[in-house]
Amino acid sequence: MTKLFKLKLIALAISSTLITACGDAETNIVEKNPIEVPDDHDHGDGDDHDHGDEYTIDSLGRLVVLANDSNTASFFDLDDNELLDTFTLTNDSNTLSSSPDFRYAVIASRAQDYLGFIDGGLWREDHGEHLHDYKQGPAASSFELTSGSRPTHLVKHDGKLAIFYDGDAESGTVASVEVLTDNDITSATAALPGITYDINMHGVAEPRGEHLLSTIRRDDAESTSVAKILPDQVGVYHFHDGEYELEQTLELTCPDLHGAAQNHDYVIFGCSDGVLLAHQHDDEYEAEKIANIAAVGDLRIGTIYGHENSESFIGVASGHGGGPAVIVSIDPENAEMEELEWQLADGASAISYSFSANGEHFLVLDSLGFLNVLEAHAHDDHTHWELAGQVDITEEDVTTMPEGMKFSMTVAQNGQFAYVADPIAQHVVQVHLEDLEIEGELELTFPPAAITWLGIAEEEEEHDHEH
Amino acid sequence: MKRRSQLAVLIAALLPASVLANSIEGTVLNNQGKVVANATVEVEGSDVKVATDENGKFVIVNLKDGLKELHVVAPGYAHLHRDITVSGDENQSITFNLKRSPIEVIDIEATPIHMSAMESASPVSVLSGEQLRRQQAATLGDSLEKLPGVNTNFHGKVASTPIIRGLSGPRVLITQNGLDVSDVSRVGPDHSVASEASTAQQIEVLRGPATLFYGSGAIGGVVNVVDNRVPTDSTTRGEWNLEHNSVDNQKVASFNATTGTDSFAFYADAFWREADDYEIPVAAELDHDDHEEHSGDYTVENSNEESDGFTVGASYLMDQGFIGIAIEQFNRQYGIPGHTHGGEEEEHSEEESVYADLEQTKVQLLSEYNLDNEWLNKINLRVGHTDYKHAEIENSLVGTTFKNETNEFRVDLMHNPFSEWNGGLSFHYKQSDVEAQGEEAFTPPSQTQSFAVALMEERHFGDFLVQLGGRVERVTIDADNALLPNIDAHAHDEEEADEHDHDHEESTAITRVFDVEHEFTPVSLSAGLVWDFTPSYNLGLSVSRSERAPSASELLSFGAHIGTGTYEVGALFDVDKDGHFGLSEQAIDLETANNIDLTFRKTQGDIGFIFNAFYNQVDNYYYQIDTGLYAESGHSHGDEDGHDHGDEHDHSSELPVYLFKTDDVILHGFEAQVAWQLTDEFKVDLFSDYVRARLKDGGDLPRTPPLRFGTEFSYQTEKLSAHLHVTRYQEQDRTAPEETATDGYTMLDASVSYDLSVLNQDVSLYLRGTNLTDTEARVHSSFLKNIAPRPGRSFALGIRGYF
Repeated sequence: MTKLFKLKLIALAISSTLITACGDAETNIVEKNPIEVPDDHDHGDGDDHDHGDEYTIDSLGRLVVLANDSNTASFFDLDDNELLDTFTLTNDSNTLSSSPDFRYAVIASRAQDYLGFIDGGLWREDHGEHLHDYKQGPAASSFELTSGSRPTHLVKHDGKLAIFYDGDAESGTVASVEVLTDNDITSATAALPGITYDINMHGVAEPRGEHLLSTIRRDDAESTSVAKILPDQVGVYHFHDGEYELEQTLELTCPDLHGAAQNHDYVIFGCSDGVLLAHQHDDEYEAEKIANIAAVGDLRIGTIYGHENSESFIGVASGHGGGPAVIVSIDPENAEMEELEWQLADGASAISYSFSANGEHFLVLDSLGFLNVLEAHAHDDHTHWELAGQVDITEEDVTTMPEGMKFSMTVAQNGQFAYVADPIAQHVVQVHLEDLEIEGELELTFPPAAITWLGIAEEEEEHDHEH
Repeated sequence: MKRRSQLAVLIAALLPASVLANSIEGTVLNNQGKVVANATVEVEGSDVKVATDENGKFVIVNLKDGLKELHVVAPGYAHLHRDITVSGDENQSITFNLKRSPIEVIDIEATPIHMSAMESASPVSVLSGEQLRRQQAATLGDSLEKLPGVNTNFHGKVASTPIIRGLSGPRVLITQNGLDVSDVSRVGPDHSVASEASTAQQIEVLRGPATLFYGSGAIGGVVNVVDNRVPTDSTTRGEWNLEHNSVDNQKVASFNATTGTDSFAFYADAFWREADDYEIPVAAELDHDDHEEHSGDYTVENSNEESDGFTVGASYLMDQGFIGIAIEQFNRQYGIPGHTHGGEEEEHSEEESVYADLEQTKVQLLSEYNLDNEWLNKINLRVGHTDYKHAEIENSLVGTTFKNETNEFRVDLMHNPFSEWNGGLSFHYKQSDVEAQGEEAFTPPSQTQSFAVALMEERHFGDFLVQLGGRVERVTIDADNALLPNIDAHAHDEEEADEHDHDHEESTAITRVFDVEHEFTPVSLSAGLVWDFTPSYNLGLSVSRSERAPSASELLSFGAHIGTGTYEVGALFDVDKDGHFGLSEQAIDLETANNIDLTFRKTQGDIGFIFNAFYNQVDNYYYQIDTGLYAESGHSHGDEDGHDHGDEHDHSSELPVYLFKTDDVILHGFEAQVAWQLTDEFKVDLFSDYVRARLKDGGDLPRTPPLRFGTEFSYQTEKLSAHLHVTRYQEQDRTAPEETATDGYTMLDASVSYDLSVLNQDVSLYLRGTNLTDTEARVHSSFLKNIAPRPGRSFALGIRGYF
């Protein structure tokens, strides 16, 4: 034993010397793309306020593209169309959207009860005397939301995102809502405020300052909904002391409620018999109903679009499971609903709808490859939507669209551009909404499944509010 | 442990003598021939440990044949080693005579091999029991500063961390129960240590290189805070304390308690502390001109503090050992004095006061298992997870957030004696993610991982004890976004003339981004010898060569560090003649310390002493040099527009640029400790320490503590104990460039405590006075010496109970 141990000691001594010999330090440095930063130097000469622009970044923003043939998300710099980074996603089937302040890409996987976030790398902070912009490389965020069941409708408004988790009747999980801001993602806030229901439902929640208007599903016996999973009431929840508390239940019902939107004064919900208006008077909401017009017929308004600065809303009436759609405008002030003069061409179906960044245009991307740009015109206190023009966004034969793929669209929040992804041509085109022209193209090496814009949204104050 | 050994004694006493085969029984006596109760007798290299009963008797049963080394320990006495050969069916009876030691000898728990102040080759100190309670302070640095060789970096009382032999920061490792405390206190002097002394059981200091046990980060020493959070026995006991301190209106409350059943033990502790800005005898700023009559007290503004925390732990006790887990929550809010930005402090200090909000959750799993195996006799397991976060808050906005998430795993395999060698192998894995976000994020996010294997062995050869060790480590530091901004660094000496036409031709500058991967293989070797050349005296020699991988902040920093008032640039970068920063041409290398330690001790008798001398040559020492350039802190305070800036250009938001460079450095010095037990009641302690820290090519290192000497008179009876402590800090005039000399001062402290028994509890009332002469004391080793002197005269009144 002794001998063996001595041998071991010698062996140790020798190996130590060997290790000491190669006991070393190695450094590998790879230089990556540099970051452009605004000049941070103010030399105290005079007044800071003159230099407001020194802290802001002028950038078209970034585009996130989900691939159709792999579960990856690629981030492009829209200033030079360069690929910044590609991230592999956790799950297979994902939907893509942006965080309320457009800093993060939100990756949702309804089936996996999963929401993940990727930092787009462009954001703005309010430093009091100036706005300070930051530009960094995209980076995966460790923040994820996995506690809710079936995250379905994600609604953004004024810096807040409300996630409605439908819950699941089969597994007995209940519906819930969580409300978060970009800051919550940045600081990985563990406990988000929200609502937990005691039943599942296919509902929707609209965040609105310290209020949250969210749907309520009553007992099946009381519910006026035909499909009982759809709620038929709306509650006004008020945020104080770190939680949302139900303060008011709107007195009008909304059978088979589906779809909601808001503008500066109203929150609107789609019902099978019309639309429910909630008109805000400080902490109180006044309920009103606009009945369906004849043009809606057997269909029901299940999707509504609104914009903070747009007085009228756009509603899409369709049957269950798609089919032909009728597009209407809703004027809450005058409690009127009107069929748009412009409707989709025969054979075309709508793929994506959106307001433009400033709310002056409404965009309808159709299956034939046309981006239809509608414009609001005011006539004696009434707003009419008329077609401003069509942009043909593809030169390809749309009948060659591969199975399971479609065009997709996103709107830049810092100007007059919309981006449309074309899986046939494997590129993204940049459309100028005033000029109605394609002004740029971003080549892809894979078929895109979905796109979303990230970046620094233009400040609302800079808009001209004099209507 | 105690309960089990008492049980062993009981069982042994009940068994007929014939069954006591292979047993040792004996008596422990002191010099006067009186019995020593409650002395611990342990068999080295095993877990066998028994305590003597009230007649000083002990029995150890079921020993295997062979040579056993017995170790006898009792408070107030020198430790005793005795070799006993056990052979079949023999019953041995022994008497041990313990000699008095005026210097308390406590074994440390930080190392797998046996070490104490009197017996090991390398120097260690332990603060425990009443002494710890007397010296504990809000910060670890201030708690330990009376130990020889240890100074505080006194950061305005709120964030002081220990300096060991002139070294601190990334060279001194702070551990809790042997696991990295995992805060960010190694990165900045204004960052507090996330560990609490008031609930600790003992605090151990390893002076000099301890990389052998702890790896990179322990090249200058280790401070290990030990508590009983994972209880090793279930004897019900506890301690509570309430105290009020006058100088800062500090209120402290703390308790700890252990209890349990035969197989389960439970532990809980909690503490709460609140203190206002502390008072000082003079104006805070050194160069304060006193034209305006100052009325009332001076205080160091923004030096208030509030902290609380609790720990709960539980363990499962087995015959062969224990396994347990403990969770701690630690919160602390403290003002950061001097963390004001730029001039104009007088006007703005209140609104601009910066405070830190620290939060840490720590989980530790500890286990010890004694095996009956041919090769191994004991396994020590330590696993830790720590989640640390602190935010620096200014005008109620979060300025910078620091995070550290660490996972650590450590297992020591102790083998059976191999031809009288005791020791074991240690495997150690540590991984930490450190991140800073915000204005002061001067270091990019990085991930550090290390894996190490170490071997430690010791053996007695007659009068010699030999201790040997080696450790190989693999350290990787990855940072995938190290930033190199294009800063407009400039010198100030070319006066203001051309400063104004800074042309802003390019409104955007480029920040270069690097993906950096470092891989280091530090190796540490150490050899020690203790020679008991004559009874009661020994001589120790320790030689070591230790390597350290530089830390992420030393390599990758680039940005304003308000805590030190500098713009820090890591060693990865360098500056050219025109003040432009680029990647350094210099290869990044390991820091290597070659250390010799010589110790001479008198271990027993009425006089005891320990003299240490050390010589430590550190090659490739990473330190910061002043580049003479200035850069914008990027930290503007939105000076209200109302201000008429009379002179246009003030440098208020500019910081001097300090660059990490390497150089060869020599540190040498001594520590001396003499204790003289005059009578049973009176004792005098004398101590002194000194370190000289210089560059090999000439020049001194900054913030090196001055020569220090002091004395303590103690009077102790059964009920009353009184202490008078005087420490003289000499002037420090060996300064680095840009550093100023600091005057010497004398601190006078006194304390008295009286024990009484109330409701079956031992209660002690105490009164403690510090800085009784109300002297102005500026700490040379502090970053804040010019704006935050030590607190003025203070009286603390407290009550402590034991059950």
